[in-house]
Amino acid sequence: MKHPLDREGIDNAWCAGCGNFGILKLLKEVLTELNMDPKNTVIVSGIGQAAKTPYYIDTHMFCGLHGRALPISTALKASNPALHVIAEGGDGDMYGEGGNHFMHTIRRNPDIVHIVHNNMVYGLTKGQASPTSQKGFQTPVQVNGVTNEPFNPISVALALKAGFASRVNIGNYAHAKRVLMEAFLHKGYALVDVFQACVVFNKVNTPKWFKDNTYELESSHDSSNLSSAMQKALENDPMPLGIFYQAESATFEEHLRGDEKRALFSLSHDLNKMKELFELY
Amino acid sequence: MKEIKVPFQATVSKPPVSLPKYKEPEHHDTHSISILIGGAAGTGIKTLENILSDAFKRSGYFVFSTKEYMSRVRGGSNTTLLRISDSPIQAPCWNTDLFIALDADALSHVDERLTDETIVLADEKVEHEQIHITSMPMLESAKKAGSLRYANAYVSGVLFGIFGLAPAILLESISALFNEQNLQENEAAILDGIMYGKNLESHHLPTLPEALANLTDPMHLMDGSSAAGFGFLAGGCNMITAYPMSPSTGILNFMASMSKHFNLLVEQSEDEIASLNMVLGGWFGGARAMTSTSGGGFALMGESISLSGMSETPAVIYLAQRPGPATGLPTRSEQGDLNLAIHSGHGYFGRIVLAPGDLQECIDYGYLAFELADRYQMPIIYLSDQYLADSIGMLHSVDFSDYAQRRYVQTTDASYDRYKLNDGAISPRGVPGLGDGIVVATSDEHDEHGQITESYHMREKMVDKRQKKITLTVSEAYTPKVLGQGSIALIGWGSSKGAIGEALKELDDPRLFQLHFAWVHPLNPNHLEILKQTETNIVIENNATGQFADILKGHDINIDHRILQANGFSFFADLLKEQLSKIIKELR
Repeated sequence: MKHPLDREGIDNAWCAGCGNFGILKLLKEVLTELNMDPKNTVIVSGIGQAAKTPYYIDTHMFCGLHGRALPISTALKASNPALHVIAEGGDGDMYGEGGNHFMHTIRRNPDIVHIVHNNMVYGLTKGQASPTSQKGFQTPVQVNGVTNEPFNPISVALALKAGFASRVNIGNYAHAKRVLMEAFLHKGYALVDVFQACVVFNKVNTPKWFKDNTYELESSHDSSNLSSAMQKALENDPMPLGIFYQAESATFEEHLRGDEKRALFSLSHDLNKMKELFELY
Repeated sequence: MKEIKVPFQATVSKPPVSLPKYKEPEHHDTHSISILIGGAAGTGIKTLENILSDAFKRSGYFVFSTKEYMSRVRGGSNTTLLRISDSPIQAPCWNTDLFIALDADALSHVDERLTDETIVLADEKVEHEQIHITSMPMLESAKKAGSLRYANAYVSGVLFGIFGLAPAILLESISALFNEQNLQENEAAILDGIMYGKNLESHHLPTLPEALANLTDPMHLMDGSSAAGFGFLAGGCNMITAYPMSPSTGILNFMASMSKHFNLLVEQSEDEIASLNMVLGGWFGGARAMTSTSGGGFALMGESISLSGMSETPAVIYLAQRPGPATGLPTRSEQGDLNLAIHSGHGYFGRIVLAPGDLQECIDYGYLAFELADRYQMPIIYLSDQYLADSIGMLHSVDFSDYAQRRYVQTTDASYDRYKLNDGAISPRGVPGLGDGIVVATSDEHDEHGQITESYHMREKMVDKRQKKITLTVSEAYTPKVLGQGSIALIGWGSSKGAIGEALKELDDPRLFQLHFAWVHPLNPNHLEILKQTETNIVIENNATGQFADILKGHDINIDHRILQANGFSFFADLLKEQLSKIIKELR
């Protein structure tokens, strides 16, 4: 069915049955229901199948290099705080190649939504392990199975006191939608790690596997308590879904710009002030 | 949403901006003296440099100072060279008229720069077997004034005593530099020093040039980093994201200090890859963003420079060179990254490489970097080096309104295509939130709207589009500076400008002229025609192979001689003069 945010004349590069379709649908629904103006919304991505999402949704986009969506998003938001900025990509893109930026973006706390498609495998390069692949997962490269400890984005984010740390399963659509809505309403950096299945290269972590190995956080979970959030984040059999932790604090752009919220392109420097400062030398 | 306006909105159909016209320093007879100060890091060598350059400037002289230092925070042996002159000077010299050794190690560190004529001043406790030392009670006098830290005031007093300059001026300088703290102690040390200097008897004592009592235009004393920074501000820079790396950090510090006065966003990034991607994110949002780095950090940026080229997102990269490979000599100087600047990044796309040669050019080309990045939507690399960034010289007042302000950002409508194939080379650049168009930046090969394409027809068109931009920058390249006229060209680029200029003046040979390139890539073949009329072409550059000479050869320019150096120093005007003089003798 056609959606107003569909980009026209596109040739979608995803495989039939890919979990990305569900995430695309979810994002379009959430943006529409929150009345976010596509003319004021930018999706920034890296490289990979997940990172192609911006090509299929009619907002502004910056599709950059593998791993580098976060620094672009951070500076973009600071240059024009009126924009809604979304950084989107896969687990390899955001946690592997972009791992350093992941850590430091959380520390900066820009007001952006960070959506990570997590299917525990590399799709576009055809089936190698990703940072989140489970131990023992066999691939053409990890021929004896993965031996590295799987990357736990939630506990890493919490160690850095991420203002919003969440995980959803796209197979649990209604729950995922509630959480993504909350992420957009949160002021500051918001991580939404999205479990999705790769139907071609991951025959282990299937939609059924994600369903059987996850559960929704109890309503009694106190998302304002960092240590109980960390405790939940470390659970992995099964893995909890939901908002682990939420706490608002001043954003990167607020620290940098104070109350000045105008787009930098609308401002210019005072040349007399420049001369005055020069004369001091 | 209310309508947002872009100030100074312009289109690329306007001809390129002209740089403000100013007079090149005149090459008349000059008299200068050189004072070398040596000591360990952390012993106040920098303070002494600040006191003396300010005090000599106040006394009516042109001052130039440059330093060479080791990559450590304390200890070691460093020097600062101070040249005092009656005309503008922007180059170091090797030979030393007066050497002040703050400790014993300094003597062995610089012994090759001392001649029989050099006056060597050191504390009375310092001894040396070969070098004749004029002893002064430096530490004793400082202690008498209250503490060893007044040694700097004492030494500057000695110099003022030797040259018979007004003590009041020195006191003014010290009072300004230390915010009027410990004035009494400093004054005591100064007067003690002056008394000693006045009574010093030696037939070698150098004499000062005549002071320029009535400098009509006030002069300003600053280093190359600050001058570049003022240029970037004049170009409208409002964002800098960088990872600290010697010798580029000066610019980051400068811009951070300026963020107190301007809408200027400063962020220290986690690595250089983040730096440049932030710059691209900034420009995409409508900021005028830059990063600063040295060779190693620049190498990390390679892939993102390529992204700037492909996505046609402007970027300004300040690259202060130091000798490599790898960590190399972190605090020393070289012009070794020219090829890296020109060729970094995979794939074929346009870029411009600028290399200012003196303080005025640091400002001009800093401004120009932003103008060009915006105009051509490509990466602009601004090459400096440790020598240029750290050296302090003097320049005239700058009227910042002389730098034409233009902003090429366009308001878009609903039919907007970011990569529109129009008749010209440049597609108008929109930004998100300004107009009704959808604005994109794409790393993959794309169609006019920015969608991924693998159509070979579209690929051919986009390759052609990027080529047209290169052709445009070649045709709009700024001309090299021709200083003097003759049949023997002394060719240089970037920071060698001052040393070549001074050597040229000292050689005083009517056959010689200087051709200085501050726009080093891409070259316009028409600008090189002058080198086909000459009898001899001598290229002078501070790297091991002659990277720029090779580029000129690629343009069918005959290169007769290369004067090269890659020892960590910049060129010394007097040594360069000797090298040139040997070559020229052979030409007779």
